[in-house]
Amino acid sequence: MARLSTIGILSLVMTLCAFAATEAQTFDISSGGQPTITGASGGSVTGSSSLLNDLTVTINFGEISPANTNSIVYVVVPIGIRSTLPYQVTVTRTGPSNANAQALQPADVGFGVNNLQVMGNKSNVCTNSSHIFYSPFDNDPSSSVTIAANGRANYSSSLSNVSGSTVILSGPTLTKSGQAQRRTDNGFTFNAMFAITPQFFAGGTSSATLTFTISAGPNVPC
Amino acid sequence: MNLSRRVIAHALALAILLFVAAIVSVGQTPTGTVSMSATVSKFVEINSGGAVTLSGNSGGGVTTDGTVNNPLAVSINLGELGPSNSNSFVTASVPLKLRSNAAYVLSMNATVTSTGTTSNKIGAADVGFGLGSVTRSGTGVNTAGTDTNATSGDPTLVANGSVNGASGRYEFTAVKSNLSAFSASTTALNGAFIMNAVPKTNTNGLTVPAIFAIKPQFFENGSTTISVTFTVTAP
Repeated sequence: MARLSTIGILSLVMTLCAFAATEAQTFDISSGGQPTITGASGGSVTGSSSLLNDLTVTINFGEISPANTNSIVYVVVPIGIRSTLPYQVTVTRTGPSNANAQALQPADVGFGVNNLQVMGNKSNVCTNSSHIFYSPFDNDPSSSVTIAANGRANYSSSLSNVSGSTVILSGPTLTKSGQAQRRTDNGFTFNAMFAITPQFFAGGTSSATLTFTISAGPNVPC
Repeated sequence: MNLSRRVIAHALALAILLFVAAIVSVGQTPTGTVSMSATVSKFVEINSGGAVTLSGNSGGGVTTDGTVNNPLAVSINLGELGPSNSNSFVTASVPLKLRSNAAYVLSMNATVTSTGTTSNKIGAADVGFGLGSVTRSGTGVNTAGTDTNATSGDPTLVANGSVNGASGRYEFTAVKSNLSAFSASTTALNGAFIMNAVPKTNTNGLTVPAIFAIKPQFFENGSTTISVTFTVTAP
């Protein structure tokens, strides 16, 4: 009887361990490299350069009034992704929230994604399906700035295009079978780009947070 | 029995260890965050609104003219201000261009220095001053904003000056209508924010002429230097 109990408990333990490992290894999002910032006055960006670390990036765009004489403040955030199934990457947003229409609005923060890159030889390069950057985000906002009829800078895509959980990228399995744990060579990286044109915004401070999530996507063949 | 309990205890300990290790060693997460912030400070600027207009002068001229949207650095020779100049006024109109993302205050400070030694030399009260019509126009300008002109406008207007019946000297008598009112930094104009959220490359703004006038009179002979500094702030 005792032997049966022992076997039962051990079976449960092994099942739990297997479950934990399997669930944790299906989808992963991480830092894709060192984020960079240009054109800032008093701004900065912090984040890990290691593909093994979580994606936790803090951007301070700094001064974005005309006191910043640069034409644009531009931030590139590399993001690492891994999956053992077809995937999609979604984005949700909180902020910026300003009641004054002349203050920074979501449409004033250009946002785009591009530059999908293989991490290494454990990455799963598929030939029967493509990875798709979804419109309108498939652009570099630093090169898509135009001036609207009211004189305000606008972008091909911006944070105003992120509504609810918004898909920005999907594709086939990213990681070769049996190589799903977080490594430096078993997934893909892509760039998330943010841009703000210094303008005569109403004074104040603004903040926003984007959450990137990788999950099961359209079931496409590799 | 004791052996079985020991086995079970060891198995449980191993289970917890394996379970935690399974999660920790994987170190994976399906989400990541990008937090961002930005700051907009109050911003104001004053530039030239264009070329200076000089009229009623005898001799003299605009030595350094204003160039629109460039820093304001104008130099004017008003020429002869004695009775040999038969014009009723020598008038210089200097266009100013203001831009801001916040409520603004335009202040002015003036000094007048003459080489004469008597009270008949040109003094600050002999230099009429006023701000003309304020214009908010063009794409990106807050055209709904209002402005308050603390001066009395064009100093050559009949309502703004007259000959003193007792002394015979022409005087600019209206409120803040001559430079004696600006011997210290004094508000000349203030108003609501000027620019909507547009880039600095947008060259529109608020324009207003600063008008200076002197009535040629039997001033004591000599030369006079008038220095005026405009300052715009966002209190």
